[in-house]
Amino acid sequence: MATQQIKKIINWFSPIISFFLIVGVWEFLVRAFSVPQYLLPTPSAIAVDFSNSIGSLLFHAGVTFWEAFLGFLIANVLGILTAVAFVHSKTLEKSLYPFAIALKTTPIVAMAPLLILWFGNGIFSKVAAAALISFFPSIVNTVKGLKNVDIEALDLFKSISANKWHIFSKLRFPTALPYIFSALKISTSLAIVGAIVGEFVGANKGIGFVILISSYHLEIVKMFSAIIAAALIGIIFFWVVSFIEKRIIFWTDTED
Amino acid sequence: MSFIDVQNIKHSFNSLNVLNDISLRIKEGEFVSVIGPSGCGKTTLLKILGGLLPPSHGNITIKDSSLDIAIKRRDFGFVFQNPVLLPWRTVLQNIELPLEIIGDQTPFAESEKLLELLGLKGFGKYYPKALSGGMKQRVAIARALVFNPDILLMDEPFGALDELTRERLNLELLKIWEQTHKTIIFITHSISEAVFLSNRVIVLSERPAKIDEIKEIDLPFPRTIAVKQSKEYFQYITWLRNKLKKS
Ligand SMILES: Nc1ncnc2c1ncn2[C@@H]1O[C@H](COP(=O)(O)OP(=O)(O)O)[C@@H](O)[C@H]1O
Ligand SMILES: [Mg+2]
Repeated sequence: MATQQIKKIINWFSPIISFFLIVGVWEFLVRAFSVPQYLLPTPSAIAVDFSNSIGSLLFHAGVTFWEAFLGFLIANVLGILTAVAFVHSKTLEKSLYPFAIALKTTPIVAMAPLLILWFGNGIFSKVAAAALISFFPSIVNTVKGLKNVDIEALDLFKSISANKWHIFSKLRFPTALPYIFSALKISTSLAIVGAIVGEFVGANKGIGFVILISSYHLEIVKMFSAIIAAALIGIIFFWVVSFIEKRIIFWTDTED
Repeated sequence: MSFIDVQNIKHSFNSLNVLNDISLRIKEGEFVSVIGPSGCGKTTLLKILGGLLPPSHGNITIKDSSLDIAIKRRDFGFVFQNPVLLPWRTVLQNIELPLEIIGDQTPFAESEKLLELLGLKGFGKYYPKALSGGMKQRVAIARALVFNPDILLMDEPFGALDELTRERLNLELLKIWEQTHKTIIFITHSISEAVFLSNRVIVLSERPAKIDEIKEIDLPFPRTIAVKQSKEYFQYITWLRNKLKKS
């Protein structure tokens, strides 16, 4: 019992300890070798800037998160619907899947200027970028999950003359749920990448905008603060989706 | 009139001949086992019988009507080698799955009674994850019974269980059979299991399977563990083992 509790405490504290260790070494090295501020600032300088500009960071992070979230929603709703259509129609799957793959292999950075042209400088181009980048994993995972049903389970449903809707709602969809959630989790970080890339190409707000502006002005401390803010929204987004996943999918054995 | 009438069933998957002219009649309330070398086509035969697989050739009638009508009538309850329980449903929800799909059919019994019959009392709210292999297979049997089909089709249902669990489930299946008068077609690769349970044992040959032998098992009912001590029981087993060796 006691040893288990100690293990738990160690599990909790070890990342915190290693965080402070890394930050400490970083601080020390920058000071010891007098690395210029504009190349690599000290963690303490970043921390001071972060807390001073927390209001503005929250605003820009909120913008980026909102763009990413809308893109995430659109991508996954469309992705899941497309996957359902694919699983029920081989013809549809065969004729559209190559396009999905083409979409996947085209880098989002290459498409971002086009999206700005089409959807303007505002939020919609970023939402589109976030959606485009999240769409493929959503389709692929959902298709995989929907097809992952046992042959014997299908036989069971057929043996009682279940119709397609029964098979979908009572068998295929629940079977696919863990796969769908893994797509959702992948999408959280991808959608934020998409939104930031969109902001790089043309925006007047958002974390990507802050990063770009601070690089123009060589304000590297500000840039670090923005990068940390971007990482934080990614982590929180991922964590919320994981939390919902654990609530919904109770039947699989996951590691950890 | 026979209850199940199987006429000249042949089946091949592409170029692989699996079933070679199987004809068979089964009476109402009969317990028939099918044994044969593995890969000979037992599962294929059972799927064809239950309408899950259209045969390449031949005809099946159930209670004088076609297989299509029998399926619509929900004449068949399947129990597969794997219990195929849905892990997001409790034991009770798994058992009631067919009722949700069928809708209006009068259930075989109150679900609570069914739990009791299968020795699952108190397990209704458990999730499959928490059950042993034997318990899972009991749930599968309850699910096959819940909509009260006339015919149970069982594909090596106890094949993956340990000897003691299998023995217990054999006894319980016999008890259920005696209480419900279902017609049961039971596939197994265990000769002793076939002899212990059945009215008749059908021996299939190597693939492409044809019927090698049909053996009436003239052991008294109700069958108890004591039957397993009898000379006749061993004689049947020896006889069938020799038949299987030859084929
Ligand atoms: N859907 C299928 N497609 C092609 N071959 C199959 C299929 N199902 C079964 N077979 C083949 O048919 C033969 C008989 O299979 P099966 O009926 O499962 O045998 P048994 O249940 O007696 O072990 C095997 O050789 C198997 O590989
Ligand atoms: Mg088999």
